[in-house]
Amino acid sequence: MANTHSLASLIGVLSLLAPTLVAAEDLFEQGQALPEILSATRLKQSPAAVPGSVSVIDRALIDASGARDIPELMRLVPGMMVGYVKGNEMTVNYHGGQVGTARRMQVLIDGRSVYRPGLATVDWTDLPLAMEDIERIEVFRGPNTVSYGANALTGVISITTRNPANSHGTRLKYIHGQRGIDDWYGSQGFSSGNGDFRLSLSGQQDSGFDHTDEDERYRDSRRSTRMQLSATHALDASQVLDWQLSAKEGSNQKNFYSDEEALVKGIVPKGDSNKDITARDFSGSVRWSLDTSSTHNLQLQAYAQRWERTQEWRTCDLELSFTPEVAALQKLNPDLLDTVARLLRDGKQIPASAGPLAFTIGNNFYKNGGALQAPVCGDINNNINETRYDFELQDTLSLSDDLRLLSGLSYRKDSSDSQSYFQGSLNNEIWRLFGHLEWHLSEHFFLQGGAMHEDDTLSGSSLTSRIALNYLITPRHGLRFVYSEAVRSPDMQENNVDWTYRLENLSQPVNGRNSAYYYATAQGPGDLQQEIMRSREIGYNGQFDFGLQIDIKLFNDEIHQMIAEPLKIKEFSQNNDNYMWLRGAETEIDWTFTTSDRLRLTYAYVDYETSEKSYRRLTARYSGSAGWLHEWGGGWSSSLFYYGADLLNERRFERADLRIAKRFNLGKSDLELALMMQQRLDDEALTWRENLYDERRLVYVSAQLEF
Amino acid sequence: MSRLLLFCCCLLIALPAWTAEIIFSSSTDNPAIQAFVNELKQRRPDDLIRFVALKDLPEPAQLPDTSRLVLLDRPSLDWRLADPAGPPTLALRISRLQANSLSAPLPAQLSLLWSDPSPQRQMRLARLLLPAAKRVGLLYDANSAFLLDEYRQAARAQGMTLVTRRWSDTRDGRPLLYLLAHSDLLLGMNNVELFNSHTVKNLLLTSYTHQRPVIGPSASFVQAGSLASIYSDQSDWLDSLEERLDQPPASWPQSGYPSHFKVTSNPQVARSLAIKLPSNESLAQKLAEGEHP
Repeated sequence: MANTHSLASLIGVLSLLAPTLVAAEDLFEQGQALPEILSATRLKQSPAAVPGSVSVIDRALIDASGARDIPELMRLVPGMMVGYVKGNEMTVNYHGGQVGTARRMQVLIDGRSVYRPGLATVDWTDLPLAMEDIERIEVFRGPNTVSYGANALTGVISITTRNPANSHGTRLKYIHGQRGIDDWYGSQGFSSGNGDFRLSLSGQQDSGFDHTDEDERYRDSRRSTRMQLSATHALDASQVLDWQLSAKEGSNQKNFYSDEEALVKGIVPKGDSNKDITARDFSGSVRWSLDTSSTHNLQLQAYAQRWERTQEWRTCDLELSFTPEVAALQKLNPDLLDTVARLLRDGKQIPASAGPLAFTIGNNFYKNGGALQAPVCGDINNNINETRYDFELQDTLSLSDDLRLLSGLSYRKDSSDSQSYFQGSLNNEIWRLFGHLEWHLSEHFFLQGGAMHEDDTLSGSSLTSRIALNYLITPRHGLRFVYSEAVRSPDMQENNVDWTYRLENLSQPVNGRNSAYYYATAQGPGDLQQEIMRSREIGYNGQFDFGLQIDIKLFNDEIHQMIAEPLKIKEFSQNNDNYMWLRGAETEIDWTFTTSDRLRLTYAYVDYETSEKSYRRLTARYSGSAGWLHEWGGGWSSSLFYYGADLLNERRFERADLRIAKRFNLGKSDLELALMMQQRLDDEALTWRENLYDERRLVYVSAQLEF
Repeated sequence: MSRLLLFCCCLLIALPAWTAEIIFSSSTDNPAIQAFVNELKQRRPDDLIRFVALKDLPEPAQLPDTSRLVLLDRPSLDWRLADPAGPPTLALRISRLQANSLSAPLPAQLSLLWSDPSPQRQMRLARLLLPAAKRVGLLYDANSAFLLDEYRQAARAQGMTLVTRRWSDTRDGRPLLYLLAHSDLLLGMNNVELFNSHTVKNLLLTSYTHQRPVIGPSASFVQAGSLASIYSDQSDWLDSLEERLDQPPASWPQSGYPSHFKVTSNPQVARSLAIKLPSNESLAQKLAEGEHP
């Protein structure tokens, strides 16, 4: 017996050392020795223990919403302000900001940042990604530069595409409807050797808004073709290699902007009304994950991404605009030049008291019988190519069952190449070092904290930190207390722009040359500091046995040293002098109350104050959504959504969406037919007064075949 | 014939007086088998217990009726099945799926003790851990389809609906995705064609991404990342075997699950899925109480 005991204790000791092997040696354990898959390095925090607020848009919700674009899905996330600059130009801001330029949120597709380096925007229309390829979207609502790097200032939208291993077979989809909607999608998934692959091809097309408030036809159609090849290879039990290639080609119509009118209005013809953008996006990424043990994981990710935007058009201005005095006065006192232009338009003289430059401009305007009022037309462009290379090494180490350390290092090189914006190319290199510790202090208390050091060639270095304490009343109910600091580096346009338009192929020579510089120029200050955000959050997350999940968040966020002036060539003065604070509460409720009914409610109340007037428009004080998903049986399903905001960019927004779908099983294939209806419940334009549709109702249908 | 002689000689030398003879056999011998046999010897010092390799056994009919055969693998079972006559026999380490391919009728006095966890117990374990679950998902293939009705009844007994999906190509994860979207948990059937070292990663990771716990199919799956499973270890098998041996062979059921079992669970997975996890012992006790009210 003593021997048996010592054997048993030896087995006990061995089982601690090599837990996966013992099972296989047991005569009665029929299974094989299996690697530890859901190891401490892979497991995430339960919803009640998450150090912040996270909204998950799962595949069922994406389908039920009938959305054709990611920003439309963001209406399901509390506190998200979705705006349309044009039908083909959408912006998503969390809580506040400026509707035209959403630049404070990080957006990732499978861990790859799609936030443009040069102009710091996310071109939602131009993402090389089809909605049908999205598995889920996790939205981290709140600053998190510790985990995602600078620019994850107000939040992070993390998009995960479908795992190739789970998307075998063929899927075809076609969407057609009003407003020129004509989308198609096709994907093929298969396995070969140790790999699983999915190739998707898709296209999207619509005509955007119908007309402007001046009853002009709106020129904002879009058309795109996209490709994505996604692969995952199980190299062995402990190593996985994922890679992805994607590309997008398309064109987005743009029309003439009012602020690009000639110096003196009404004299020369407008230039092209066609300012269409040709957009090409390419990306390639690879990720290698190695489990050295069940308590240690190493991950290396590298990606390259390129954005190409070609926008060329012909513009006209008075010959007067190309005189040195106009350029000089624009530089010295743009407001005065504006006044001078207005007086000249009205046929008035410029008094000498206006100063020598203004006086000369006035004289030039009238001299020689107004010879300098003759139009000069030339080719102009906003072409820009941006490139990003990123390498990241991430190490996850489980020190014990209750203590986990996540650390890493990353290097990023961003370059932007544009004659108009940068007079050539501009590079930025960013090194980042980060660490994050998660510690279960007891059954009820969970402490998480982290810090990131970032060194940015163009805007210097920064250190940010974040700490969160979760009190778990039970495993399914938790309170959280979060304090975080985050930064946003000024983007290349804000800090380093060297904005000059050179008109080529002039209709008549200016100063004996065939090309000339436009009088307005703008130079970035070059010494902008990073914006700093301090955020405090108290939240509750609970899951109830009757299928209800609820999250409540109270927040108080301040942005200091905010760079907020409008990015206009004629009035470009970026500085760190602005601030904004945002306070409020928001909630998200997801209730599966029967196996065929799901109810989802979101609500946000946001109070704010800001020093920059253009930031006072966007934020809706009250906003929210309500959705009901129901399975009727026999393949029928429906979803009904309501979206509302009291004053979103100063306009009420209320819309009801209804989607009815019927699924047919045709032997080995499944066919789904769906009807989607959107009905605006108010009379407002969408985001801006000129964004108008002929009808308040939109109808489109879709057919999807899977086999 | 020489094998029989040798065997009888062995018995004669070893048997000074009549005691219960328990003969273990399997086609292979290994330390785990020896440890099991030795453990039973220690528990039953009055019985003559020995291991005889399958190749050294005579035809079943030539073994004394008073002896008890305990077979530990499929080849030894096949050997026993070839002969309708023979001593009372207990077959261990055979699963429902393996037994399904056996040619009927089985000889009298052959009792099969299933190696895989009982569907009823697994389903009750699921109910104990997930009181709110309404739908339980189950993957099956052509070989395991015959068990669906039993699983369906087991689910119904716990107030749950069974949602099933046939998984004929384990490289294609679509049936799994369907189940995860239409059920509250996944129950793993102990079927190595479906649940093995090649499928474990995608199965567990995909289920986890959908925040769906997996119950079963085996203890090693729990270590890999399933939430919990019942299992029987060596001492459970010895206990269950002794219970049978103590009964007259005529009262042996033709097949059954071991009466002794344990629960194993993964606390880290439970924590991450926000599931309150009682101790394995109390879970096993509750399950056992449910069987013997």
